[in-house]
Amino acid sequence: MIDRIESEETQARSPWKDAWLKLSKNKLAMFGLGFFATMVALCYASPLFYPYSPTNQTLSFGATPPLTMAIEMRYDGQSEEADEVITPKEFADVYASDAQSEIARIDKGEVIYVDGLVFQKSDRIHILGTDSHGRDLLARIFQGGRISLGVGFIATFVSLLIGVMYGAVSGYMGGKIDAFLMRVVDVLYALPFLIFVILLMVVFEESDHQLLLIFLAIGAVEWLTMARIVRGQVVNLKNQDFVEAARATGVRTPTIILRHLAPNILGPVIVYSTLLVPAVMLLESTLSFLGLGVRAPNASWGTLIKEGAEKMMVYPWLLVVPAIFFSLTLFAMNFLGDGLRDALDVKSSKD
Amino acid sequence: MEYYGFNDPLYVQFFRTLWQHISFDFPPLTSYPGLTSKEIIADTFPVSLQLGLLAMIVALGIGLPIGILAAAKKNTALDYTPMSLAMVGICLPTFVIGPLLALVFGVWLGWLNVSGWFSFSDRILPACTLGLFYAAYIARLTRGGMLETLNMDYVRSARAKGASEPRVVLVHALRGGIMPVVSFFGPALAGLISGSFVVETIFQVPGLGRHFIQAALSRDHSLILSTVLFYAALIIIANMIVDIVQILLNPKLRYQ
Repeated sequence: MIDRIESEETQARSPWKDAWLKLSKNKLAMFGLGFFATMVALCYASPLFYPYSPTNQTLSFGATPPLTMAIEMRYDGQSEEADEVITPKEFADVYASDAQSEIARIDKGEVIYVDGLVFQKSDRIHILGTDSHGRDLLARIFQGGRISLGVGFIATFVSLLIGVMYGAVSGYMGGKIDAFLMRVVDVLYALPFLIFVILLMVVFEESDHQLLLIFLAIGAVEWLTMARIVRGQVVNLKNQDFVEAARATGVRTPTIILRHLAPNILGPVIVYSTLLVPAVMLLESTLSFLGLGVRAPNASWGTLIKEGAEKMMVYPWLLVVPAIFFSLTLFAMNFLGDGLRDALDVKSSKD
Repeated sequence: MEYYGFNDPLYVQFFRTLWQHISFDFPPLTSYPGLTSKEIIADTFPVSLQLGLLAMIVALGIGLPIGILAAAKKNTALDYTPMSLAMVGICLPTFVIGPLLALVFGVWLGWLNVSGWFSFSDRILPACTLGLFYAAYIARLTRGGMLETLNMDYVRSARAKGASEPRVVLVHALRGGIMPVVSFFGPALAGLISGSFVVETIFQVPGLGRHFIQAALSRDHSLILSTVLFYAALIIIANMIVDIVQILLNPKLRYQ
């Protein structure tokens, strides 16, 4: 309590600073923010520092569990690059005479000669294992994350654009136009989104810009709630005294919209956008899971989970690891959205 | 081409298809020669309906008791633990829960079949996968609704006249407390249908949802059209029923 009074004495805090202070006290929301920021940074910056490529296949080293030792095989012991990289299991099955002790020796870093072939420990370490084509799973998750998060941001932006314009026009015009526009939203609400998106994907199938289409298709169905929220805010605000006072003192309409209306609409819009990002990512992954979304060579977390689900009987980590990444990111975004709602909600801060 | 009528001008095709759907005389399908959408829907919708109803039973059977208990024991461990679990349940998507459940109960423990639709035990995993999200949501809605009604005057009166605590909660407060759940049924049905696409794909259930996805993948336009029309009609009817039930349950709404 004491430091609060002190800070009020020094200077008045802006509503945004207030909201930030409130948000930073919410541990779950801060965890969400931190986790999400880390995820975004890792996914987009990983090509700079992560040694393995998501498209580089090593078929002889496919579908290895996390942290499996890789064994380099050279035909003559001379070549710089390993001729093949194999798993301990293949070594034991095909080459070794006394598998256990030889693998233990390789693990210690010794070089072993069997039938003229040279074996030694490789410095490849796949933290999360490899998929069935021998691609590094973590690298694929980073690549999938770039697409999943990208869809999340861009589709949210598309629905933000449509929703804010639609809602603002509806709220500002009022009357019959408002009633008509909102009935359209009501009708669209009654239908399941997924059917809509699938229809849109089918109709625009032939296009080359498949990723762009997913952004647009998802954005085109997720703007409904945004339109309602913005309309409600605009209707509330446009008749309030401070707007009228601004108009009476001769402030021009664009300035009223920018300086008086926009900051008041911004709070709910930010909150809803934060909650929309995970919803959009979920929708995209569902589409990809059904085979209607992102296609090869691109991969999203939905496609990774789909591939994992197909092979879960034999390689369970291919399902579990992407599922954990995806769920944690969704949690983080939802926590952050809930925290922002508490922080920016003017009504709740008064009581 | 002649058989499917694709050679006719577009406006002829449009009005013919429109009339065919109005008169329930569906055009032949390109992906299933000799069959019409009517047969496909009649064949597979009962399976989807069964799955949806079982999922609803799971959702209500888990969600309602948890929500009521959490509201009655507000701000205790019995409130926080199930409600945090419900938050997890809401965030986890169906296509993560489904394969994970199949992995744990089907592969590691070996109790249930991973896919198929033959015996009753084959229905447990799909119904639970589909139902768990709604169970979590219903638990939250029930808790919210119950908390509100438990503060009402008539609940205080019921306590004052000496009604036992279970009777107050289950008889007096519940009727008002489940109103949010009832109004959630409309959107829930739409969600159950889209959810069934995923669940039917995961568990190889021979339902209508899989046919819809297949039709979308193989560009069978008449099957897509009739399936979408069918779903739309279903959802509108369900929303109407929900509205009527709400008015029956809540006299306040009758005069609006």
